[in-house]
Amino acid sequence: MSAAWPTADLDPVRRLHVMAAAIPGAMSGEVVVRRPIAQVWARAGDLETELPLLVHDFREVRVRDRDGERLVADARSPLGLRARFDVVLRPNWCWCESRFLLCGMAAVEQGDDTLFGFLGGVRVPGAGRLESIASRPATALLRGTLDRFAARAEAESAQD
Amino acid sequence: MAMQALLTELTPYVGRLCGPIALDEGPDAAQNALIIVLRDLRQLREPAALRGWVRTIAVREAVRVARRGRRDVPAELPDVPAPGDPQLAADVRAVLDRLSPAHRAVLVLRDLEGLDEAAAAELLAIPAGTVKSRLHRARRSFRQEWER
Repeated sequence: MSAAWPTADLDPVRRLHVMAAAIPGAMSGEVVVRRPIAQVWARAGDLETELPLLVHDFREVRVRDRDGERLVADARSPLGLRARFDVVLRPNWCWCESRFLLCGMAAVEQGDDTLFGFLGGVRVPGAGRLESIASRPATALLRGTLDRFAARAEAESAQD
Repeated sequence: MAMQALLTELTPYVGRLCGPIALDEGPDAAQNALIIVLRDLRQLREPAALRGWVRTIAVREAVRVARRGRRDVPAELPDVPAPGDPQLAADVRAVLDRLSPAHRAVLVLRDLEGLDEAAAAELLAIPAGTVKSRLHRARRSFRQEWER
């Protein structure tokens, strides 16, 4: 009988929000993109193109190793600083972490549209306190990041 | 990545507990419960107690979320299908719909988790006698089917 009992699923965007809430110094948000999930994820999963547009701290991202869904990527900051990221990339889910930075992306189908989630964070001692101090500007930054992603995805698709 | 692995490990279990109790609010309950679990993990002194600790958080959160979003439901079960009704297996969700969140929690703890009344009462922070009466009422009409 247990097979007939309802279960609750945690979709990738909810999973991203759980991670954001549990990690001091991380923050997540979501936006509805008026395009099908396959199109949205084709853009999001192109890390070398999309991550520098999403993350202000990245000027350039290069994937240098790939083993199934696990990748290693090098990111370079506008000041030339380099960071190695361990990445898990699978359909509708991406998680990147370096020694000091985190970012994540997730997508869920919503009819003909897509709910896209993004997480950014820092991994330094006292990140939770920093988060509370910088909460408002960080929220505004995150909102802008999400809105610009949606605008890019919708504009590109409209040109097709 | 360790937190990711733990989340992957715990999510199905939390989903099985939150789904039958919170129903449509199940994903909200599971999300909230997992946030609490990961955020408060350092408070867990004994790793072997993880499953029971997660169960307590998930069930309490599912009841809280279900109460927040619930419409009024009758305390009795006037329209529960009779035991042996071929529609019953497909109607478990409909049966759960007629119960209060607390009734559903008691059933989940007893029928899915195998807890006795004392343990269920402690987890739900209610007197053991209340668990017994809730369980009796909730199971009265479809006990045979659920125990099959």
